[in-house]
Amino acid sequence: MTWTIAVGVKQVPDADEVGIDPDTGRLDRASAPAVMNGPDRHALEAALTIRDQVGGEVIAMTMGPPNATSVLEEAVAMGSDDAVLISDRAFAGSDTWPTSLTLARAAEALEADVVVCGEETTDSSTGQVPPGIAAHNGWAQLTYAEAVDARPEEGRLAARRDVEGGYELVAAELPVVVAVAFGEFDPRPAPLHRKIYGENDFEPTVWDAEALGIEDEVGLDVSPTSVGRMETVDPVERKGEVVDEVDGLLEPIAEVRA
Amino acid sequence: MSDDAVDVGEYEDVWVFVEEHGGEVMPVSWELLAEAAKLTETTGDDLVALAIGEGLETVADEALARGADRVLVADDPVFEPYRADPYGEQFRAMVEERKPSIVLIGGTHTGRDFAGRVAVPAHAGLTADVTELDVDDEGILQARRPAFGGDVLATILCEEHRPQMATIRPGVFEAAAPDPERVADGDVVSVDVVVDEADAISEVLEREVGDTADITEAERIVAVGRGVEGDLEPARRLAEALDAELAASRAAVDEGWVDGARQVGQTGKTVRPDLYVAVGISGAIQHVEGMNKSGTVVAINDDPNAPIFEHADYGIVGDLFEVCPALADRLEGEPIQEVTG
Ligand SMILES: Cc1cc2nc3c(=O)[nH]c(=O)nc-3n(C[C@H](O)[C@H](O)[C@H](O)COP(=O)(O)OP(=O)(O)OC[C@H]3O[C@@H](n4cnc5c(N)ncnc54)[C@H](O)[C@@H]3O)c2cc1C
Ligand SMILES: Cc1cc2nc3c(=O)[nH]c(=O)nc-3n(C[C@H](O)[C@H](O)[C@H](O)COP(=O)(O)OP(=O)(O)OC[C@H]3O[C@@H](n4cnc5c(N)ncnc54)[C@H](O)[C@@H]3O)c2cc1C
Repeated sequence: MTWTIAVGVKQVPDADEVGIDPDTGRLDRASAPAVMNGPDRHALEAALTIRDQVGGEVIAMTMGPPNATSVLEEAVAMGSDDAVLISDRAFAGSDTWPTSLTLARAAEALEADVVVCGEETTDSSTGQVPPGIAAHNGWAQLTYAEAVDARPEEGRLAARRDVEGGYELVAAELPVVVAVAFGEFDPRPAPLHRKIYGENDFEPTVWDAEALGIEDEVGLDVSPTSVGRMETVDPVERKGEVVDEVDGLLEPIAEVRA
Repeated sequence: MSDDAVDVGEYEDVWVFVEEHGGEVMPVSWELLAEAAKLTETTGDDLVALAIGEGLETVADEALARGADRVLVADDPVFEPYRADPYGEQFRAMVEERKPSIVLIGGTHTGRDFAGRVAVPAHAGLTADVTELDVDDEGILQARRPAFGGDVLATILCEEHRPQMATIRPGVFEAAAPDPERVADGDVVSVDVVVDEADAISEVLEREVGDTADITEAERIVAVGRGVEGDLEPARRLAEALDAELAASRAAVDEGWVDGARQVGQTGKTVRPDLYVAVGISGAIQHVEGMNKSGTVVAINDDPNAPIFEHADYGIVGDLFEVCPALADRLEGEPIQEVTG
């Protein structure tokens, strides 16, 4: 038996390119190029690792605007067999509740045995979507996974989980949602021929809310949370003094210890 | 208003989850209890602690001593060691039956693991990784949280759904000291256990808990980054000379050089020592977010353009393998040695 492994990849503003709008003095996220959420590369690598262990198919899925296709092309270049764009204006304003519902329904439609996600995103970074997917479907979950061990003969996937001050090895029944600890899976480089295929020939499957039967269960209306005020955080004022010799540090250190 | 929106008036009390593993309570639980007490002063609600595990008598008493009016305990072997599915199911049943208005959970790996398994079926609002909390006259929680790597502080509201749930970043709030006199006035309520081992869909095969150091209370910290290249000796010596705790960037933790309990930053702890010495740390925004409440910040880095210098009061550009020992020597009263910088 082989497994169907779905991977959640999200498009986010490139954290390194978020500048300050010269007119308003505020952060200008809109002009930052959209890229794949960094931790999702690690998720993809974990998904490909599971495929290497059991065989099967890796299918990337993203919920986002039509131009989020670019992150799917990247996923296909890295080795995903197929990809789904889940896109609909009705999704606007979704918090993690409908977002995870959407991905949960997509995972069901794909008949996924495993859903692999990143630890959290670099934009809103809630880390709530993977447990949310598992909860909507009543599936098992393995978050903060540092290593994965597919056990098809048991119908389970085991993962080494990072827990505060230690680790645990947990086996979960399929279907299971895995959230991969950022930094633990070294993403494999995309071979040139896959890149060319991804960019030029590949077309993702496209689903809207109706295709998943959730047109009344998404968007702002069903989202329990809403984002109120957003304040730019001023950096903490620091002296920024550079000293040439360690002796220059002795006085400030002595002051602190006094 | 959506179909699932609820009569918010039916919901009352502020709940705090007391996270314990094998009898050891995560310090963030007591931080939450102290902060939640401020909320109940405004709302007039009861402050209720909730503990799930096995053999919770001592934990329950400590929760009362630390400020809870009441403790709900779900005590059963099925909860030890922790697993998301039994915890989530039990917690959800308690929420649905007792209808709390606000539920606060420590933003540890455990808290962030199961919180969604409560919030999703309850259709509750769940705010992630909160660093500032307040409540308005109508009992609406104003949960503020950093986003975009800490560039932005967003206020998240949950107006029409209940409970208003949030996970709270460890180390941000201060714990209150226990007052043993309070124990006699509080109630410990044993709740029905609704989960059964036969329904479990996960199994813990091994569990090893090592270093559970609490760096959030440290007065002085020496933190290491990828620049130490696996050699902790120079930083350890400096830490000893300063009587400081050792901490680390995520890179140093991911490399396996330092235990995760000592990680500072967005996905680690928030620390506020009087002195923070960053050794071989570049100063990524996710790191700085966890240390920018520190008093004096000193950076040691051989790259003059490293962003950490913008977040430091005093910087020294040089090789940490020379600077750390030289500084340790001086602090220990040794004569000056040549340092290139
Ligand atoms: C400033 C701000 C703060 C917010 N705070 C909250 C909050 O506290 N609570 C709340 O409920 N909502 C919040 N939201 C809404 C939330 O950002 C959206 O629901 C978002 O689409 C999903 O959350 P995330 O990016 O945090 O995902 P995470 O849960 O951090 O993502 C983890 C993983 O899930 C997968 N994944 C997530 N989103 C997608 C996607 N669209 N497509 C494919 N895979 C995906 C990826 O593998 C990703 O690595 C906030 C929004 C903003 C702008
Ligand atoms: C979602 C998410 C969450 C994250 N959460 C956290 C978090 O909680 N905490 C955290 O720390 N990071 C976090 N990160 C990672 C963060 O973005 C950085 O990658 C990380 O902080 C880098 O660690 P570092 O500074 O140790 O390593 P590097 O960035 O590699 O820096 C090493 C530094 O050491 C210096 N150096 C090298 N050799 C020497 C020498 N001999 N002497 C002196 N200096 C030397 C170099 O000049 C360099 O500046 C997160 C990232 C993401 C995407």
